[in-house]
Amino acid sequence: MSPVESESEFAAPAHDPAFAADATVEIVDVSVWFGPKVALSELSCSFGPGVTGLLGPNGAGKTTLMRAMTGLVGVNQGTVRVEGRDPRRDRGVHGRMALVPEDEAVPAGLTARQLVRYVADLYRIRDRDAPDAALQSVAMLDVADRHVDGFSKGMRQRTKIAAALVTDPQVLVLDEPLNGADPVQRLHLIALFKQLGADGRTVIVSSHVLNEVERMAERVIVLMHGRLAAAGGRHAIRDAMDDRPRHVLVRSDDGRRLAASLIGLDSVAGVTIDTTRGGLVIQTVHARDLAIALPRLARESSVRLLEVRALDDSLESLFRELVR
Amino acid sequence: MTEPGTVTSQRPRSQFAAILAYTLQSCVPPRRWAAVLMPCAGALLFGLLARAVDNFPTPDRAFANVAAEGIFALVMPIAALVIGDAVLGAEVRSGTFHFTWLTPVPIWRIVLGRWLGGSFVALVTIAPAAALAAVIAGASGTAGAAYVAAAVGSVSYVALFIAIGCITRRTAVWSLAVVFLIERLLGAALTGIAQLSPTWESRAIFVGYLDDPPDRLIRDGIPEGGGAVVRLIIVTVVALAIANWRMGHMRLSGAAD
Repeated sequence: MSPVESESEFAAPAHDPAFAADATVEIVDVSVWFGPKVALSELSCSFGPGVTGLLGPNGAGKTTLMRAMTGLVGVNQGTVRVEGRDPRRDRGVHGRMALVPEDEAVPAGLTARQLVRYVADLYRIRDRDAPDAALQSVAMLDVADRHVDGFSKGMRQRTKIAAALVTDPQVLVLDEPLNGADPVQRLHLIALFKQLGADGRTVIVSSHVLNEVERMAERVIVLMHGRLAAAGGRHAIRDAMDDRPRHVLVRSDDGRRLAASLIGLDSVAGVTIDTTRGGLVIQTVHARDLAIALPRLARESSVRLLEVRALDDSLESLFRELVR
Repeated sequence: MTEPGTVTSQRPRSQFAAILAYTLQSCVPPRRWAAVLMPCAGALLFGLLARAVDNFPTPDRAFANVAAEGIFALVMPIAALVIGDAVLGAEVRSGTFHFTWLTPVPIWRIVLGRWLGGSFVALVTIAPAAALAAVIAGASGTAGAAYVAAAVGSVSYVALFIAIGCITRRTAVWSLAVVFLIERLLGAALTGIAQLSPTWESRAIFVGYLDDPPDRLIRDGIPEGGGAVVRLIIVTVVALAIANWRMGHMRLSGAAD
């Protein structure tokens, strides 16, 4: 794999975590809009060898970014380069990269083997065993002669991954590749992606599930509303998310007594009595500590807990907090 | 994945052969074949209708009049639209075109492969149906002219509909608008438009190859027979060139968009 040459017109900031040191995919001031809807807004980042996670809630612009970096969607503003080439103008770069889109759509009337072989033929893959090897790598060989339009979502996704792998891509772009996969398949695919990254390929994996991304990517880029929300190592992102204040609703048979005992806890930043919800709203920056301490406190105070519920634990709120 | 050095003696299919096979196998599944064959059955009914018409001096003239309005102006464009939409527009809408587009294959090869695949389907359905309709009408002498006219007209239409599929996602709607608003309405009034119309030109091909064409079907300003064939070949080449140019600029934003 050839990293972008030093004379590249895109000189990345030296220590900005949004930029990879040896970038193969460069996104510079990219904006994409569809009519009045802005999907990406002045986004700049880059991707290099290894697995990079692209994280963000639904509608954050992950899919548009992936389509832009593969050339499926032209950018309205800014520049995309893959190994120094424009994927919209230079079709030769498609021989070096592959995309696994999130769409469930698969060609009608083809078996898994036929689909993978079709892609292999278009890439002029000479090894006639390559399609079967690719199918084997995603545990689809035993159903290779079944029609893909009869497959489940997870099987379709794995077939598309096989169709991407058969091209031996140096840049592999995977949009929500674990969707529909069962736990065993997830483990298998995560190990596969990590291996591809360890081989020196640029693997870009999108997901809206932080835990998934954490398990396969060393580096994470977070998008929110088409903009860069955060970037860095997976531990830094996790810490940033864990440290944000959360709100937990606790309903009990004696809210006031429970509130009094909660005040002294280090993990509690504030407690308010919410009459509309009929309970306490606890603000905490250490949700895990609170989860451990709360049952113990309730028992010691002879308070019966009726309901414990996070009020803002959706990914949307997590990301919103991260952006703030 | 391929490992370097694992080359075997077997040769892979060429890119062109792969696209052609894919077009016939995946883009035109059995349901699409049925949708193409239905208007073709309509062509045969027009053959029966021509046999039933008794106010023309010969069966050839009766069939020529019925075919001009029924087969070349209605059956052929509709059947070709089904094919043209199948080989590109439907795939773009369904979100599977990236399997072909996102490869190092040159755009012109994709366009040509899709067009040839669609043309093959047209040549084994629409054109034989037109010829068979002539036989059913008792005008066997015009079957050859009907076949040539329908063949040239339908492959030209397929190219036109592929070009439309490269320009808009609403291929079927725009294709219908082109056929019935631009070709039928404007083309009937303006010879300049009729000269570029597969409907009018295929009718001119048919009329040009008849021994005794009805005067009603001869239109001034439009070449007949071989001249019309040449005209449609030019239309086809231009449509494919537009498709080639537009396909490189397509925005493949997925099935959900």
